[in-house]
Amino acid sequence: MDWLENELRRALAREDPPDGFAERVMARSARRPSGTRRWLAAAAMVVVAVGAAGAWRQHQGYEAKREMMLALQLASAPIDRIQSEIRGITQ
Amino acid sequence: MKTLLLFACLTALPMLAAPQQFELNLDSVAAKASEHVDVSLNAATLQFAAKFLDANDPDDAKVKKLIEGIEGIYVRHYKFKSAGTWTQADLEPIRAQLHGPDWSKIVSTTSSEDGANTEVWLHIAGNKNIGVAILAAEPNSVTVVNIAGNIDLESLAKLGGHFGVPKVKPADKPKKEE
Repeated sequence: MDWLENELRRALAREDPPDGFAERVMARSARRPSGTRRWLAAAAMVVVAVGAAGAWRQHQGYEAKREMMLALQLASAPIDRIQSEIRGITQ
Repeated sequence: MKTLLLFACLTALPMLAAPQQFELNLDSVAAKASEHVDVSLNAATLQFAAKFLDANDPDDAKVKKLIEGIEGIYVRHYKFKSAGTWTQADLEPIRAQLHGPDWSKIVSTTSSEDGANTEVWLHIAGNKNIGVAILAAEPNSVTVVNIAGNIDLESLAKLGGHFGVPKVKPADKPKKEE
């Protein structure tokens, strides 16, 4: 079992990172996206904004239509009632 | 000063845009109602809503034609849990305005069964019909409508039976409450 223990100890032994490792990681994480990426991100945001605005406008349109139908329903009922009463009297 | 002027303009804009022809001051009715519907649509909103009507749907086509001459629809509808909750005095502020010289009552019916009263008034300007007021006062509900502009009442009545509106027949009139 010694050879196995030795292998494991060697494989799992603590090792210090190579020189400059931390600096390289920090430098890479701070690197700004490329110009193409920025444009793609901006275009995606514009597409999302335009889509959201269109969906909101459509929602408002259907809401306005619903209110208009409700208003016409409420207005038509008394007129229909009057017509029916007059029709009932004349028949 | 500029801010004050801007504020005054912004305050006046909605008033100019809303051709409501009489004040729908029904606060006393609203205070007693269990449910209410309040719809105010000016010409711009109606035109916007009309864009969402389906030209292939016969009902929508009728509505589109009906609203062509309308500049605004203003509706207040109140429902009450029991009959006798509201009084005629509650409707006086509306009737007082309609008794002005520009308004002319064209028809009024009162049901002998439940006392439901419906009145239709035309707003006349220079021999031209520029609006309609409808006042429907039933035991359990009150509806006040102002339609600004020229509307065909016959076509409006025909909407009954469409969009889930039950067609009223003389036999369908509400029965008198015992």
